Order: sequence, then C-alpha cells, then structure tokens
Amino acid sequence: MNPGTELWLFAVSLGASALGGMLGMASGIIIVPVLTLWGHVDIRSAIGASIVSVIACSCSSAAPFLKGRLTNVRLAIVLETATTAGALSGVLLAGTIPAPYLFFIFGIILLISAQQMLVKRGDPALAPIQSLTRRSTTWRLDSSYPDRALGRDVAYRVQRLRMGMVLMYVAGLISALLGIGSGVLKVPAMDTALRLPIKVSSATSNFMISVTAAASAGAYFVRGDIVAPVAGPVALGSVVGAILGARLLMSISNERVRLLFVVVLVALATQMFVAAFGRDLFRGIA
Amino acid sequence: MKSIRIESLLARVLTVGTWLAAIVIAAGLVLSWFHQRTPFLTGAQIVIAGIGLFVLLPILRVILMLIFFAKERDHKFAAAAAVVLLILFAGFAVGILAK
Repeated sequence: MNPGTELWLFAVSLGASALGGMLGMASGIIIVPVLTLWGHVDIRSAIGASIVSVIACSCSSAAPFLKGRLTNVRLAIVLETATTAGALSGVLLAGTIPAPYLFFIFGIILLISAQQMLVKRGDPALAPIQSLTRRSTTWRLDSSYPDRALGRDVAYRVQRLRMGMVLMYVAGLISALLGIGSGVLKVPAMDTALRLPIKVSSATSNFMISVTAAASAGAYFVRGDIVAPVAGPVALGSVVGAILGARLLMSISNERVRLLFVVVLVALATQMFVAAFGRDLFRGIA
Repeated sequence: MKSIRIESLLARVLTVGTWLAAIVIAAGLVLSWFHQRTPFLTGAQIVIAGIGLFVLLPILRVILMLIFFAKERDHKFAAAAAVVLLILFAGFAVGILAK
C-alpha cells in the first residue's frame, strides 16, 4: 500500500473519530462501511482496523473527560461487568446469527434510541434532586460534574441501575456480534435508563468502549486480522480525531450534542437497513 | 478527593499510553514507506507492535482501577474491576481457542 492510500485512511479515520469522540461513540461503525465500500479494503482487515480505532479513540479522548470530571469511573467499572459479559457472549454467539438479521436488529435499535433521545425531559441541572433509590445508595455512584456552558457544578443521581446493566449487556453483546464499538448503544442506554446528563453519558461511554472492545481486539490480534498498512494509519487518524472531538464536546451545549446524536443515529439506521435488505454488502461482517 | 486522584492517574496513563502507541505506529509506517528496516524488525512489524500496545492499554487501565479500589478498601468496586478483568482474560482465551 502506498503513502497516498495511507494518507487517505488517516484522513477518513480522523474525520470519523472526531465525530465519534464528540458523541461519545466510537468510530468503528463509520470506519467499517467507509473502508469496505469506498476503500475496497477486505472486510476482515476493515474490522481489525476498526477495532483498533475503537480502542485508540476511547483511550486518546479519555484524559480531557477524566480531568474535566465528566467521566464517572465508579459507574464505568460497574457497567463494564455487564458490557464485557455481553461482549463475551457475543464472541461465543458469533457466526450463529446471519449478518442481515443482525443489521436489521441494529437498525431497529438505532431508531428506538434516536426516538428516545428526542423525547424532551426535564434538564437534571434544573430539576430538584429526586429521592435516592436504594441501589444507588449502596453503590455510591452519584456524583457531579462542572458544566462549562452553565458555568457551575451539576449534581446528578444514577437511577435504575439494574435496567442500565441489562441494556449494557445487550450493548456489549450486539457490538461484539457486529464487530464495532458500542458507544452508539451505550449513550442512549445511559441517557434512558440511568437518566444521566448527556455529557456524563458520553464521557463515561467513551471511557468504557476501550475495555468492551479489548476482548474482541485480542482475538483479532491473535488471529492476524490486524493488517499493518490498514490498521496503522487508521489508528493514528483515530487518535488525532478523537482528541479534537473531545475538545469540541466540552464547549457545546447538551441540547446540541443530543440533536447531533439523533441525526447520526438516523443516518446509521438507514445504512443498517440498506445492509440488511440491500446487496449483502456486509455479508462477512459477523 | 480520592476519586479525583484515580481520575488524574488514569488520565495520565491513558495519555502516555496513547502517545507511546501512536509514536511506535508512526515510526513503523515511516520506515515501511521508505522500505527501511531496523536490524531486527520490519516497519510493518513495528506497526503491529504499536497496535499491540493499544490492545493492552484498556487491560492496564482495569488493573490500575483494581489496585486503586483494593487499596482504598472499596471492596465492591475492587470486585467489579476483578470481574471485568476475568471476563477480559476469558475473551482472549476464547479468541485463542477459536483460532
């Protein structure tokens, strides 16, 4: 592969990761179709590269979120027991479900997520703090984050943890089955079940993605699906893009992040339905 | 205050790890462009090594959290970290067995 192709891979990954980093989702879901459809990279190399990109995005954008106190690390490690268990189940199930069914299911999940995120609910920053649930008290997950747009600290409660854990398991399962990052499922799940401020959801999701991806990444690595001339430039582009995206997230309002997320969800859902009913473009992905 | 300490520690480790992996990958790519090779490794092999660093970084992060929570006698969160670590190793084992 020549330097021109590698620069192209770098640029595509940078763009995908900037968008992904801003939304607390990984770039894999964008990188896999772009590499296979436009880059004529074979599907296994594309998935191998995308898994590396997912980890690179998550690790490189984690620091500003952590320092900005947006990431809830305690919540992350609790939810990661569910996401990694889901991913492990996905690895075990991989190959038993035909890819078009998976894409159809994923498309439906994306649309439901988009619809749920569009539903207006009271801003947790303004609403009085609700009574503690018992589960939340025992786990001490509640926290606060400094909101730059509001110019003050916003306290939040973690609600309905059990439902959140179930959704996280499903997010891990589906992401492992499809070989992509799972931020696109985690953020809406946290938004809906745990009722966290969207920036906390984005930052915490971003933090968890690398750990969720690590199990399948190890398998790809061992199997030799990670090809240096593809995965190398993609990983580098992802690092730069993710850092840019994270900077942007800090300085824009919650409502704008939410709206942008909904637009991306609908676009990806359309892409998933095309993959499910279309020309079997993604046949090899699972 | 203790939760701020773990956050800055993780931020530092992830940042340093990311740059280290990125520099190794970039060095490998540049070497392969010019068809150069070090006495031991080709450019492509150096790229793969850098990618290996990226794969290990999340595991290191979970190990650090496990140590931190254990030291803080925060047993529930230490247990959660241990469970995540076990599942990660199980994932690797499944990948190796399926080879």
